[in-house]
Amino acid sequence: MKTVVLLSDARHAISGRATLSGLEARAISLAAALDPAPRGLHAGGGAEGVSAGLGHGLQGLDVLDLPEGADPVPALAAHLQAALGKNDAPGIVLAGRRGEGGLETGLVPYLLADALGLPILADAVALRQGEAAGTLVVDQAMQKGARRRVTIRLPAVVTVHPLAPPPRPFAYAKMRRGEIRFLPTAEAIGDTAGGGNGSGSGEERPHRARPKLMRTGGTAAGAHNLHVGPEPEEAARLILDYLEANGIRRYGDTRG
Amino acid sequence: MSRPRRDPRGERATKTITAAGRIRLDVALRAARAAASGRPRRDPWREWAASLVDETHRKRYDRSQRQMSREEAARFSTVRDTIEATAISPGQPALRVIEKPAFLVFAVVEAAGGRLSRFDRQVLGAARLLADAGDGGGAVVAVIAAGATAGDAARGDDHETGLGAAGADRVLVLEGGASPSGRSAAMLSAVEGLSPRHVVFAEDGDGADLARRLSVCLGEALFPAVEHLTARQAVRALRHAKAEIGLAPPRLMTIGEDRAKPYEAIPCEARRLDLGPFAGAGGTAARGDDSAILSVEIIPGDPARLSLSETDFVVSAGNGVSDFTAFRALAAKLRATPGASRVVCDAGLMPRAAQVGASGTVLSADCYLALGISGAPQHLQGIVGCEHVIAVNTDLHAAMIERAGLAIVADAQRVMPALLKLLGEAGA
Repeated sequence: MKTVVLLSDARHAISGRATLSGLEARAISLAAALDPAPRGLHAGGGAEGVSAGLGHGLQGLDVLDLPEGADPVPALAAHLQAALGKNDAPGIVLAGRRGEGGLETGLVPYLLADALGLPILADAVALRQGEAAGTLVVDQAMQKGARRRVTIRLPAVVTVHPLAPPPRPFAYAKMRRGEIRFLPTAEAIGDTAGGGNGSGSGEERPHRARPKLMRTGGTAAGAHNLHVGPEPEEAARLILDYLEANGIRRYGDTRG
Repeated sequence: MSRPRRDPRGERATKTITAAGRIRLDVALRAARAAASGRPRRDPWREWAASLVDETHRKRYDRSQRQMSREEAARFSTVRDTIEATAISPGQPALRVIEKPAFLVFAVVEAAGGRLSRFDRQVLGAARLLADAGDGGGAVVAVIAAGATAGDAARGDDHETGLGAAGADRVLVLEGGASPSGRSAAMLSAVEGLSPRHVVFAEDGDGADLARRLSVCLGEALFPAVEHLTARQAVRALRHAKAEIGLAPPRLMTIGEDRAKPYEAIPCEARRLDLGPFAGAGGTAARGDDSAILSVEIIPGDPARLSLSETDFVVSAGNGVSDFTAFRALAAKLRATPGASRVVCDAGLMPRAAQVGASGTVLSADCYLALGISGAPQHLQGIVGCEHVIAVNTDLHAAMIERAGLAIVADAQRVMPALLKLLGEAGA
């Protein structure tokens, strides 16, 4: 099935140069397992950072020309809407869950899904084709290593979680061979990147690091729950009872 | 000890005779007890007794003026049966009731498995902070998915008590089904029906997903991953934490982990809120997402393969364990991640990745079962974040025994087979 990977205007954490976001590199490797020729889609000034995606497994890259600071959602939506109407419409639109080095709101995939009227699934760590045609099985990352396996009918927007398998190795020749298409955008779109994407009206200022809460353990007094020299069976019973009373684990019916 | 507080100045004023030029006091005037201020009398002895933290040989007092949580009060009353826990701070109610809230603050909690996680308590704490901001009078509404309570119907009461102690005045159970779009539609109708002043989400998992869906449905800006929250401003980082934005607390926000203090004062009532008035409102968000999702299945994580920093339950072996085959079998049976102390890892009996402590992994697990570990300071640093600690050790005076919530002075080598046998009987 045809797959499109959205590539954001990511910045390197140290140097601040345009780069390929790590999440999107993971998204490319997930896409390449489903589609032999995944395409990238980027809305922004140029292909400086995102062209590295070609080296990680993209077969082609579409760059929508946008001025600096413009809202990418309408341009992306218009492009994908046109693509969805065509013969070989993309089935999956993959994106990273947050941007890197920008506003980092993680709202663009949701706004795009809303504009296109597609369902969206967040935090995918594995993708594979469903048994029925036109379906996709998505494993979503949850807390404590749990996964939620969702079968969804395509087309759909899926965002990728940092726990997804690492990206494919970069190949410089592949990046050189890859085809980049620069597409003009239909209309000039107002500058909304400041207000529309959730940064609000606040002024940007230099970051001040603030300490996180300390994880101090509860000073549960051992003296109240101290058992000196119980029989091993009694000790085992105490441990299991404690685990169940505090809701840590349940081990079937342990009552005699 | 609930005598009303005396007002000596007032008494003196009533005894004063101002008829002559000189001020004189009529000392014999006993009936003229001035109207008491109504406040009950303080009892410093009782307050000191109440702030005693641990029953150890060295006394520790917590004089941070905070009210006892219900859990602590229960523990206190069992330890000191001569003093009523609720009478420790007279004049303060045992339960905080907000009858007519001036405004509402939603706190969306996940409560996976029917238990409030650390992060859930922080979200409720942040909501409590916003509800008490300014003149106060706001009520915190804990919004939980219907599935979270349905799974633990028997423990429903416990669950709500936990929410009350964590600072929730009201509880709203969302009947939105399992699908994320269903949840967001239910959330949207609740927000439109009750129009809360703030909605606080956790910047993690389903909470983060729901916040963004709601933001798009409402067409309102979302202020994600708040790092610093006070009554007056919310601050978040952007551009790789090189810049930040601060503004007055917005309507929709998600809060980062370990960024807001959990609520630790008098328990709130956690009254169940009726869905009646707005059950049928706002069907605007009902999109075709539900029909696109064909099946949902939850695969629990395999604790044996999880990393120590991710797991919620660790069984750890120390120098008191020599049979490591039994230890690994026990970890598998308990569905826990195996860990080890430095001594064991140095000896090559367990991989280095399993080391718990300052130079190994610092855990964020809920529960830690230490078998044959005495508890070196560097090891205790690694389990600082664990809520429940169980220690099995032969040494009564070991530091781990003092740290543990359940301490068993016994030989771990003999307890392990007994545990395995008991688990085998239980069919786990």
